[in-house]
Amino acid sequence: MSDTTTTTKPFLHPERVEKLRDYVPFIAIALVILMFWAISGDRFMSVRNWTFIAQQTPVLLLLAFAQLMIVTTGSIDISIGSSLAFSAFLGALGMLWFGDVGLILGVLAGGFVGMVNGCIISLLKIPSFVTTLAMLIIVRALVIIMSDGTSIYITSDSGASGGNISSVAAPWLLSMGKFPAIFILAAIVSLLMWAFYEKTVFGQQLRAVGGNEKVLRLVGINVTTFKIKVFAAAGLMVGLAACINLARAGAATPQAGMMMELDAIAAVALGGTPLTGGYGSVVKTIIGALTLTIVRNGLTIAGVPPSWSQVALGILLIAAIAISLNRSKIDVVK
Amino acid sequence: MDGSDTAPLLTVEHVTKSFGGVQAMRDGSFDLKRGEVVAIVGGNGAGKSTLAKIVSGAHVPDSGRICIKGVEVSRADHSVSHMQASGIEVVYQDLALVPNMTAPYNLFLGRIPRKWGLFVDEKKMRAKTREVLKQLNVTTVQDLSQPISSMSGGQQQSIAIGRAIAWGSDIVILDEPTAALGPNETGEVERLVEDVRDQHGTSFILISHNLDQVRRLADRIIVTHHGVTSREFKRDEITSDRLVKAITLGE
Ligand SMILES: Nc1ncnc2c1ncn2[C@@H]1O[C@H](COP(=O)(O)OP(=O)(O)OP(=O)(O)O)[C@@H](O)[C@H]1O
Ligand SMILES: [Mg+2]
Repeated sequence: MSDTTTTTKPFLHPERVEKLRDYVPFIAIALVILMFWAISGDRFMSVRNWTFIAQQTPVLLLLAFAQLMIVTTGSIDISIGSSLAFSAFLGALGMLWFGDVGLILGVLAGGFVGMVNGCIISLLKIPSFVTTLAMLIIVRALVIIMSDGTSIYITSDSGASGGNISSVAAPWLLSMGKFPAIFILAAIVSLLMWAFYEKTVFGQQLRAVGGNEKVLRLVGINVTTFKIKVFAAAGLMVGLAACINLARAGAATPQAGMMMELDAIAAVALGGTPLTGGYGSVVKTIIGALTLTIVRNGLTIAGVPPSWSQVALGILLIAAIAISLNRSKIDVVK
Repeated sequence: MDGSDTAPLLTVEHVTKSFGGVQAMRDGSFDLKRGEVVAIVGGNGAGKSTLAKIVSGAHVPDSGRICIKGVEVSRADHSVSHMQASGIEVVYQDLALVPNMTAPYNLFLGRIPRKWGLFVDEKKMRAKTREVLKQLNVTTVQDLSQPISSMSGGQQQSIAIGRAIAWGSDIVILDEPTAALGPNETGEVERLVEDVRDQHGTSFILISHNLDQVRRLADRIIVTHHGVTSREFKRDEITSDRLVKAITLGE
C-alpha cells in the first residue's frame, strides 16, 4: 500500500499555511530575539538586560490582557492609557489618605472607568471606539484637574516629604516594581488570566459575543449587562496595571500611560488576535507584549533613535497582522 | 381537575406585532395539543417566523394572549428564558448558531454547565453532544473542538435541531428545518420529528414551504396570509390544490 497523496504535499500546502499562521507570534519573537542578538551580541543577551525586560513588560502585559478581553467581544478600548493615569493617581491618593490599603482605590478606579465605558456603550449604544475616545480625553483632563499638574511621589523613607510636594513612604511598593517581585506578580496574574479566559463560562462568552451577539440575545442571554461586566473587569485589570506602574515609576504623574492604549492594542494584535473579535489567546498575548518590549529594548541598545524605533514598531505591527490574517476568509475591509 | 388530555398545551389568541410601520403579525391565533404536529404555512413575509419568535419569547407581542398549559403568560414574563422554562424550544430559520464556537458550546448555548460555579464543564458538554448526535443519526461529526462554521450546512442544522430537542421540552418550533438540506437529511429530520413525538409526546410547530412534507407530518395545518392566521385544515381534508389556493389567496 502506498499512500503517496500525503507524502507529496507541496511545502506551502494551504492546510500547512493555515497551521503555520497559528505560530506566527512565536516565530516572530524568535526572529526578533535572534536578530538583536546578532546585532548587539552580549549587550542584548545579558542577564542584566533580560532582567530589565522582565521589569518593563508587566505593565504593558496587564494592559494587553485588559484589551484582549474587550477585543475578543469585538469592541475596543482606547481610554486605558488615561485610565491608567487616573487609577495610579487615585491609588497614590488612597495611600495618602488611608495608608497602604488605600492603594486598592487605584484598582477600583480602573474598574469604575471601565464600568462607565461599558454603560455608555451598551445602554446608550454608542460604538466603543467613539465612547472610549471621548473617555480618553475626559479622564486625562480629570487627572490634570485633580492633580493640578503635580505628581504624588512614592518614597522609600518617611523623612523625605516636605514643602508642597506630596509623597507617600512605601518602600514595599517600590520593591514590588523590581525584578523578582514584579515578575512573580506578572506570572501569577498571567496564570489567573489564562484560567479565566480559556476555562470559565465568562471567558468563553467573551468569544461567543464576538462571534454573534445577536444569537446570544435570541437564546435569552443578557448581553447588555455582560458587556458592562466585561469593561468593568478589563478596567480592574487596568487598575492593577496602574498600581504596578506606580511602583515602577515611583510617582503618579498626570502624563502616565500616554499612548499606552496603542501599545496594548499592538501587543494584542502581535499576539495574533483579530481586532474583529471572536478569537484570542492569552499565551499569544503574552508573546505579543514581550515582542513589543523586546523590539523597543533591542532598538534602543542598537542605538536607533526613539523616533525611528516607533517607525520600526509600526512596520512590524502591520507585517505581523498581514501575515497572521487569513485574507482568503475576509470579504470586507473597513 | 385534570383535563390535560384534551386541553391544549399552548393557545395563541389574536397576537399582533409590528416593527415600525410594518405589521408583521396582524392576527395570529392557533392552539397546540400534546403530541401534535401543527404546520404553519404561508408565502414569504406572511409572518410565520414572527409568530415563531413570539411563541419562543424572542418577540413580545403588541397585543393578544398566550397561554401555556392553561396559564397565561403575562407581558412582563414574556421572555426567552420564561418560555424555555415553560418547555418551549425553537430552531430558528437562520439557525442562530455562534459560528466561531464549537458544536458542544452551541448545543448548550444559554445553559452552559458549570464546574465549581465558574468553569465550563467541557466533559459533560462533549458527552451530551455525542449522545444527541447519535440520537440524530449524525455520524459524520468527529472533531468536537472545531468551530461550528467549519461544519457542513447539514451538520450545523443537526446541532441546531439537537439544541431544541436535547432538553426534553414539551414544544419544539422548527422554522424551515429542512430548507438547506438534501433529500437524505430531510428524511432524517422528518423521521426524527416522528420519533421524538412518539417517544416523548413532544408537540411540534413546523414552519415549512415544502407542502409534501407538511402533508406527511402535520396533524393540522394553519395558513398565514398577510399576517393573519386565516385558515386551518385537518390532516384528512388537505389537498395540495386547496393548500396552494389558501396560501396565495388567503382562502
Ligand atoms: N425584526 C424585524 N424588523 C422589521 N421588520 C421585520 C422584522 N422581522 C420581520 N419583519 C417583517 O415582517 C414581515 C413578516 O416577516 P416574517 O419573517 O415573519 O415572514 P415569514 O412568513 O417567516 O417569511 P419567510 O417565508 O420568507 O421566512 C416581513 O415583511 C418582514 O420584513
Ligand atoms: Mg420565516
